[in-house]
Amino acid sequence: MRFAVDTGGTFTDLIVEDDDNGLHMYKASTTPGDPINGVLDSLKLAADDFGLGLDALLAKGDLFIHGTTHAINAIVTGNTAKTAFLTTEGHRDILVFREGGRMEPFNFTVPYPQPYLPRALSYEVPGRILSDASEMAPLDEGRVVEILKELKSKDVEAVAVCLLWSIINSAHEDRVGELIEQHLPGVPYTLSHVLNPSLREYRRASSAAIDASLKPLMSAYMHNLTGRLSDAGFGGRVLIVTSQGGMMDAVDVAEHPIHLINSGPSMAPVSGRYFAREDEGSDTAVIADTGGTTYDVSLVRRGRIPWTRETWIGQPYRGHMTGFPSVDVKSIGAGGGSIAWVDDGGMLHVGPQSAGAVPGPSCYGQGGDKPTVTDASLVLGYLDPEFFLGGSMGLDLEAARGAIERDVAKPMGIGLEDAAAAIIAIATENMVQAIVDITVNQGIDPRDAILIGGGGAAGLNSTAIGRRLGSERVVIPEVGAALSAAGAMMSDLHSQYTRTFFATSEAFDAAGVNQILDGLEARCNAFINGPGAGSISQTIEFFAEARYPEQVWEIEVPLASPRFESDADVAALVEEFHKVHEDIFAINDPESSIEVVGWTASVKCLLKETESGSLAAAEEAASADGTRKVYFAETGYVDATVRRFEAMKAGETLPGPAIIESPFTTVVVDPGATAERRESGSVSIVPGVAPAAK
Amino acid sequence: MADKIDGVKLALLSNRLEGISRKMGNTLMRTGRSGVLNIARDFSCCILTADDKLAAVAESLPIHVLSGPDMMAATMKEYHPDLKRGDAFLHNSPYHGCSHPADHTILIPVIDDDGIHRYTMAAKAHQADIGNSIPTTYHGTARDVYEEGALIFPAVKVQENYEHNMDIVRMCRMRIRVPDQWWGDYLAMIGAARIGERELLALGREVGWDTLEAFNEQWFDYSEERMVGAIRQLPAGSATRTSTHDAIPGTPEEGIMITSTVTIDPDGGEVTVDLMDNPDAQPCGLNLSEACARTAAMVGVFNSIDHSVPKNAGSFRRIKVLLREDSVCGIPKHPTSCSAATTNIADRVANPTQAAIAEIADGFGLAECGAIIPPAVGVVSGMNDETGQPFVNQVFLGLTGGAGAPEADCWQSICHVGNGGLCYQDSIELDELRQPIFVKTRTFAPDTEGAGQFCGARSAYTEFGPRVGNLDIAYVSDGGINGPKGVRGGLGGSVSGQYKITRNNEREDLPNCAVVTLVAGELISSQSCGGGGYGTPTERDPESVARDVLEDYVSAERARSVYGVVLDAVGKVDAAATTKLRTEMTA
Repeated sequence: MRFAVDTGGTFTDLIVEDDDNGLHMYKASTTPGDPINGVLDSLKLAADDFGLGLDALLAKGDLFIHGTTHAINAIVTGNTAKTAFLTTEGHRDILVFREGGRMEPFNFTVPYPQPYLPRALSYEVPGRILSDASEMAPLDEGRVVEILKELKSKDVEAVAVCLLWSIINSAHEDRVGELIEQHLPGVPYTLSHVLNPSLREYRRASSAAIDASLKPLMSAYMHNLTGRLSDAGFGGRVLIVTSQGGMMDAVDVAEHPIHLINSGPSMAPVSGRYFAREDEGSDTAVIADTGGTTYDVSLVRRGRIPWTRETWIGQPYRGHMTGFPSVDVKSIGAGGGSIAWVDDGGMLHVGPQSAGAVPGPSCYGQGGDKPTVTDASLVLGYLDPEFFLGGSMGLDLEAARGAIERDVAKPMGIGLEDAAAAIIAIATENMVQAIVDITVNQGIDPRDAILIGGGGAAGLNSTAIGRRLGSERVVIPEVGAALSAAGAMMSDLHSQYTRTFFATSEAFDAAGVNQILDGLEARCNAFINGPGAGSISQTIEFFAEARYPEQVWEIEVPLASPRFESDADVAALVEEFHKVHEDIFAINDPESSIEVVGWTASVKCLLKETESGSLAAAEEAASADGTRKVYFAETGYVDATVRRFEAMKAGETLPGPAIIESPFTTVVVDPGATAERRESGSVSIVPGVAPAAK
Repeated sequence: MADKIDGVKLALLSNRLEGISRKMGNTLMRTGRSGVLNIARDFSCCILTADDKLAAVAESLPIHVLSGPDMMAATMKEYHPDLKRGDAFLHNSPYHGCSHPADHTILIPVIDDDGIHRYTMAAKAHQADIGNSIPTTYHGTARDVYEEGALIFPAVKVQENYEHNMDIVRMCRMRIRVPDQWWGDYLAMIGAARIGERELLALGREVGWDTLEAFNEQWFDYSEERMVGAIRQLPAGSATRTSTHDAIPGTPEEGIMITSTVTIDPDGGEVTVDLMDNPDAQPCGLNLSEACARTAAMVGVFNSIDHSVPKNAGSFRRIKVLLREDSVCGIPKHPTSCSAATTNIADRVANPTQAAIAEIADGFGLAECGAIIPPAVGVVSGMNDETGQPFVNQVFLGLTGGAGAPEADCWQSICHVGNGGLCYQDSIELDELRQPIFVKTRTFAPDTEGAGQFCGARSAYTEFGPRVGNLDIAYVSDGGINGPKGVRGGLGGSVSGQYKITRNNEREDLPNCAVVTLVAGELISSQSCGGGGYGTPTERDPESVARDVLEDYVSAERARSVYGVVLDAVGKVDAAATTKLRTEMTA
């Protein structure tokens, strides 16, 4: 038996895989003060369901996989360690200058951001390496020791080190590390070239700073988690989901906690990829995870999980760059809690403000009085006030109607239902733009992708989004409400290694590159023989970070062969680069040479033979089937068929207008669309076209 | 006539157009070759209607797009009345609507399936080199366009039926110092504009061209209404402020003083910026193009009001900019040189405009942003001894310039007022890799902020030079004498400065506008302008002052003498002593 737990902002989702590969889904509330309580709560729900004690349930498990927002929360709430920053003399302000850039050029209400680590704890280390790896000035060890003494007197809890050009000559940075061990024994530290050996000092410095600042907290968390699971009866292996969409042992990830920044959301594309393949036989999918306040979008292209080197904590330019590759999940402020408002020019907006979980939408009756997307869904009849979250929470229809009437319908001079439909339409458009941005940035036509809807609120407007994008199919997996936890259950052990080594196709240093690739492969093999020991199968892939001369933004190109044996191998790389460049940007420059600045090896170890995304057959729920009045912009009120999600048979089709409900989610099948239940349990929708307007 | 478009559809379509311009911008950014494009983001993309009105702008440099693309699109139509799908035009003429010659622009008419011109896509990018007589794209001292030396393209057809006119490409390659880089940037602009064209054609087919036509007008009306709403929040009034560009060769000894008179008419819902009372065009490269003169005034206005008002032809109806022909900040006549039109004098127009609004209306406007272009943002060139290749590139090493605002401290790295902070700052490592330079230091200079209730920027201090061989650095650094001024009691920000550091570690003064040649071992020192403060420094939150002291930006002495804040031995605010001191200071 395996457990996958994803701790999110509001809910802690648990997926249990039983010994017959059937899945079971549970949701407990997240307990921010001590998130491990929420983890144990979710496990208790499962134990009850299985009719076992918690210890008996845990004793049956061999794998516990965990995604957590604990690291990112610590950063957002300022609960990281007191961390010092050591850098090259003359460059104390690397973390302040960052890389410049700004959003909203006319908005002067937002001041310049504070650096990730205080300037008061930033220290300059004399000594300089140059871009050709030569030493211009030696490291002043005496000064380093003085600084370390000062850090001790200031009770600094962690140290980040980033010296210029440590990526090509790490002697100074390594020596600073040794001196820290000697003079500040027990204080965790991060060397930038070890953690993130990539060009551009701000990104590397930022990686090191974030990583070091998380070390004390996250090593304690990992220690605590493994200890409490063990105390509760679990004897298996504890793996943690990383920002890169793989898993690492809890002990190892405590050494590099920056990998936890995107832990959790990074798993949505993993399960999205599975369902696109399983349900629709496609390797290109847009995965959209709808939460209460955010809408997380990612793109799986040719079966590959998307990457970005530019991960921001917070808004671009206003937040901090992790400097670290991560699964590319874009987040916008749109979700069930997004608030609708009308500006003084009479235009309707939805979000980015959100009512959040507290006070929540008006219909929650918890003090919120702003009209939200959830309120609009209730007014339109999408949601059943008696069957929200399986009936565990009643919704106040009148409150929803009142809020929309007051804040939207009246100011716009339109009817209540039209106002509610407009709220959904605008929210839909915001979500569509987020998808367009992410697909377009990678040169994908969104029409060619399957849309996978995850999150409890995904079903409300996924058909509408799919229609607007021109998607052929929209898929709502049965485990969609816990998409990340389901993804964690499917993921592999993964690690990735990168080296900076400049090469140009004009004078290609094949021997030099091959030596770099040898080194990377050796590290992959060490991973396979270490954490990957006993895995079922292993794969190593190589990539080049390449560009045209003078470009500064590289694109990632897979290597067809693991070494460069002949000119033909180089030509193949160049050819592939031109192709990828045209794919993404509509142009290429086939006469031009190319440059490669970095080389990456990615290793994966498969832990299980088969993947599954199907819930174990549940008892036939009390049928809520029937019809109810639902309002659509094109048709006005119509009688929509209401069907229980779990009661639909595989292959069964259901034409819209229809509502498909489960305790975890509600799927709206618009008029003109058709839904079909898949073998996997997913509902697959052909969005079709809307009937002519009323 | 199509149906009236409701508020929902209005929002949907405006999002679609914005999305298209954003997509153009992303393409340009990722595929450009020169540092000024792909690092400094000195480019812009926008969509114009068939009658040359600005409809949508991706987040672009303010000085690039508010006014100008409209004139460029009109020029394209005037010179090429028979537009066909597949055409593309190269435009950089400051006498026909372009900002300045360094901003090569690709214009592509979007022609529907019936052959009707529906929109014009514009992709504009500052080039690393444009074939000027000296290796810089800001030739501040050029007497006229002939001494400037730029190739000028007044909407010249460079593509027909989607094929390049290689004659023109070859001409450019013969004249531009880094031909491959230019070619790469040219391809990037074509790619961006073509992507926009493709998307817009798809949109027209999807929703119908009539609907889009109707949308355009209603979108402009909506934007105008928002503008009126924003102007009505301000009191009626008029104010005149001046701002003086430091003297450089070709200008009068006292420099060039720009006068901006702003009149706010809330009842009429209109703002007027009068630039008529200004000097004649000067025999130097600082004169503004008409595009930059209009845009600079508009930047000053939009920086001063509710930032959420859409920037397009609709809101522009409510700004009147009065310009004079043959003025240094008006409508230039050929062969007046406008080489540095986007920066130096343009800043001297936008800054007093926003400062005047601040003086009229408390809680609005903005202090003055710092001037540029200091050596750390100059154009570096030379021969790379290691590769045997020549190099020329603008670096963006150290610049700040942000102005104090009504509710918030500045955005430090605003670059200059016309840039809005979009510009990236170079990675030291990337710059040292791209050209044989060595950057010794880049840091914030202490006690240089524009003190105010809300502070303007500190100066960035940079030292750099050649790692091997020789290095030419070209710059036109304004703001060494006339620094950025504060408003409503706020103090001015620090002035700019530069000097050479010899191998013997001695300082040698440098002029504010020069091409300096350094040999290995020598360094140039560059201090950027800060920015002005908004409001009186003694009104500043004492905790913010304490934080600035703790972070080593401001000395305890300055905290006391300028802000009236007294700190105890551990750096905490001594509330009683602070109140007492502030009372004394304001008495």
